[in-house]
Amino acid sequence: MSFLYPLFLAGIAAIGVPIVLHMIRRHTRKRVTFSSLMFVRTTAPRLRNRSRVENLPLLILRCLLLILLAVAFARPLFSRQEPETVVRAGRRIVLLVDTSASMRRTGLWGQAIDEVRSVLRDVEPMDRLCLITFDRSARIQIGFEQWAGLDVSQRAAAVIDCLSDLSAGWAATDLGRALVAAAEAVEDDEVHDDRQPVGPRQIVLIGDVQQGSRLNALHAYEWPATTELVVRPVESRGLTNATLEWVVHHDRLTSPDGSEALRIRVSNSSEATTEQFQLRWDAHDARTEIYVPPGTSHVVQVPPPPDPSATHRLILSGDDHDFDNTLYIAPRLQQPIDILYIGRDDPNDPQGMLFYLRQAFGVTSALHARVTSRRSDGALRVDEVATAHLIVTTDVTGAENLATLRRHIETGGTILLVMPSAQAATMLSALTGGGRIELQEADIDRYAMLGRMEFAHPVLSAFSDPRFGDFTKVHFWRHRRVDLAGLPDVRVLAWYDSNDPAWFEVPVGSGALLVFTGGWHPADSDLALSSKFVPLLYSILEYGGVRMGTQAQYVVGDPVPVTGPAGPQRDVRVRKPDGAAVALDAGVETFTQTDVPGIYGVESAGETTWFAVNVAASEGRTDPMPFEDMERLGLSMKTPGPAAIGQVAKTMIHRGLVETENQQKLWRWVLVAASVVLLMEIWLAGRLTRPATESQGEQP
Amino acid sequence: MTEVPTPSESRTTSGMIDPAALMKIRSMELRAKGVVQGFLRGIHRSPYHGFSAEFTEYRQYSAGDDPRYVDWRVYARSDRFYIKKFEDETNLRCHLLIDHSRSMGYGSIGYTKGQYAGTLAATLAYFLFRQGDAVGLATFDDRITQYMPPRNRPSYLRRLMAALEADPQGRATDLGPPLQRLARMLTKRGLIVLVSDLLTSIDWLESDLGYLSAGGHDVVVFQVLDPAELNFDFDAPALFRDLESGRDMYVDPPAAQKGYKRMLEAHLDKARTACRRLGIDYHLFATDRSFDLALLEFLQDRMRRHKQQVRRMRSATAGRRT
Repeated sequence: MSFLYPLFLAGIAAIGVPIVLHMIRRHTRKRVTFSSLMFVRTTAPRLRNRSRVENLPLLILRCLLLILLAVAFARPLFSRQEPETVVRAGRRIVLLVDTSASMRRTGLWGQAIDEVRSVLRDVEPMDRLCLITFDRSARIQIGFEQWAGLDVSQRAAAVIDCLSDLSAGWAATDLGRALVAAAEAVEDDEVHDDRQPVGPRQIVLIGDVQQGSRLNALHAYEWPATTELVVRPVESRGLTNATLEWVVHHDRLTSPDGSEALRIRVSNSSEATTEQFQLRWDAHDARTEIYVPPGTSHVVQVPPPPDPSATHRLILSGDDHDFDNTLYIAPRLQQPIDILYIGRDDPNDPQGMLFYLRQAFGVTSALHARVTSRRSDGALRVDEVATAHLIVTTDVTGAENLATLRRHIETGGTILLVMPSAQAATMLSALTGGGRIELQEADIDRYAMLGRMEFAHPVLSAFSDPRFGDFTKVHFWRHRRVDLAGLPDVRVLAWYDSNDPAWFEVPVGSGALLVFTGGWHPADSDLALSSKFVPLLYSILEYGGVRMGTQAQYVVGDPVPVTGPAGPQRDVRVRKPDGAAVALDAGVETFTQTDVPGIYGVESAGETTWFAVNVAASEGRTDPMPFEDMERLGLSMKTPGPAAIGQVAKTMIHRGLVETENQQKLWRWVLVAASVVLLMEIWLAGRLTRPATESQGEQP
Repeated sequence: MTEVPTPSESRTTSGMIDPAALMKIRSMELRAKGVVQGFLRGIHRSPYHGFSAEFTEYRQYSAGDDPRYVDWRVYARSDRFYIKKFEDETNLRCHLLIDHSRSMGYGSIGYTKGQYAGTLAATLAYFLFRQGDAVGLATFDDRITQYMPPRNRPSYLRRLMAALEADPQGRATDLGPPLQRLARMLTKRGLIVLVSDLLTSIDWLESDLGYLSAGGHDVVVFQVLDPAELNFDFDAPALFRDLESGRDMYVDPPAAQKGYKRMLEAHLDKARTACRRLGIDYHLFATDRSFDLALLEFLQDRMRRHKQQVRRMRSATAGRRT
């Protein structure tokens, strides 16, 4: 048997008290009432006969009670293994080194290397070590196996060499994810390397541990109780760090001319010694003064860049660290969109569909839609069809045109077919490649309405919110009934209340044919007058591959979709801020190498679009994170210091004992025994003290 | 049935009264009678001069003398102003101040200090009554608990004796407030006899007694202590309980005796010194001491004091004549 807190056993020494009291009682049974004790000083009990105690059974019970209490507090347990075995086991140490942007502050990276050296000095040959660097993601630089495979004398040098080749990057800090990765690395090593006994686990975090470090990943992770985190923070000399962030206008489509001022949020560190900062565009001397007290943030309006179509940098000055003082603004370029309309409508005839289509696609700051109409009875140009982002056909056209359109769909294009009459069945059949399709004019009593909608479809997902999903006010006076049995893989988006399909999609090749069985012109319905009409058309346009209103501002490490106006099948290259060009493989739609801040250009088919990559604003929150924040998430923290790592073995032994003791809980039984003894003592003492003795004025 | 001795039987072979035997007599008056037997009337003198048949002084009037003392018959005969003064033996007003604090309830020899103090006071009262003096009584602990103004009537003596028979029921001793109160109450000068164990802080004793002394009263202090309090000769360790405060204290008497005696002696010295400074007669009585010895001591002091007063007056008169 051993004890979890053996020091409590010292409490057994308290049994001397009842022994002495029992001896004293022999002499203090006599009570003397005296007139005044003003001339008497209390004297220590004089024990004339130390070998004799009064009432031995009572004394034994009282001593036993004290012993049991001391033992209960000492938390006894039966050890299952010798602690020495644990001590002999090598430690598993993960060196977690921060390479985020905030580590670019002057002197921090050097301090981090020094801390690593300090840790390595305490590492013993039997220990296993893993080096992980992290910013928004964690990367294993030297794994446990690799460490074990190195010569003992070369291990420390290998770690230092590895770190010397690295430096702090520009990405944000996701500390939570890094800690989880480190903890899992230790557990994986224990599982995979069964030759090494399970020893102490320690994660040594070396970094600035700034407040902007994200800890979200720890919320969903139960930190292993036996893994200890030692934080060895590095500290910067300059305490003032201001950071700037563009508060992006959420409704950018409503400001097509780009003349509005930029709203910039400037935040200052809480320990800052400076409160006055300046903002200026890179090529201009005009400055905007801003006053930001320590620990606060202010939003200021900065005049728009002189030329919205050029790249710009907004520069903050006045603080001690400049790694986060530059905000890159991507050029404001309108994306040209080509919409091809095939029909016989006059663009100015409000009874036709083209009139409403042209009204719907206005010019915004992000899009410049060009609606081109072609008569259905004329021949379509192939290049015109190929470059169109969306084709809307509302009339029966010739076989040659149908072949061109079908090829367009098969290569990934999207065509919206609005069936003007029952004669459109041949068009539907030709475009889908299906057999004979039954189509007839629906017999409608007054009007039909949309009864059921498939909001899960991307075209209608924008209306999935109950606030926007009510289409019942749209009345259809006429529509066509179609039998979908002959169409393969058809997917219905909406049904009329008569259960006839209203809108449906037929996949053709890699593209899609969207079919409306009723038009939006007044002869068919009042859809064009509905508030749903414009969002519906934009949704179809987006479904066709056009990205609208996409955020052109990213932070370092963000994946950026780069399909652009050229479509996914085009040859795309991304030019990085340093001039290097990265060619994207076919089928790859996102660019992930946004590892430095700056303006990136996406080049495709002779056109270039731009996006800006900035340092994450959270990285600018360089105030130290309180350790309590991590402890609150269940991490076992250790005070930093060189001696900490040497204490791990003891801590591990203690934790093992705690687990064993928690399982056994012998102290409960000891307390039960103490309670029994206490009851016996009360009973016995009651019997013995019943005849109370007290005398008044006793004679000497 | 216990046999109660008569006062005459309480006398020892040396002729002194055994206090233990005397205390067995239930009647306080009887106890006092027994003690006072043998003492003659007129041994002491009044502390101030009043109207009495016996002249102590007869001199020519001088400016500043009280006109009440002018002998108008001599003036009628000789046309000169003469002053007459008398030895008055009957106008003494005596107040007996008896401590009734809890500590007076202690006694180790069969009776308590309170009983002894009561008997002593009764003896003095009886003696003074027999001389025709007026005797009053005040009992106190930390305040005056009972007050009987000085009277000289036989029925009043019995009331006085009954009051003295009561056992002390008071609280802690505190001389200050009762003495201050008494000094305010007593406008006419007289004899004040304080019977107490003085087991209280002695630091203020001088000022407390000073209230009475400064009022022109003739003050006599009887400090009454039990022999156990004087010697502290308990033999076994015990848990001692303080009668006044009720607190318990473990005491090993052989170990504590030396310190106790030293502190007690210092306390008694302080009391003695304070009384001497104020011109107050101080007597320390152990409760095993005979009452007639106490009375004798008291009377001797009174006579000595009277002679001193006479001497002072004569020397003052002689000085004025020259």
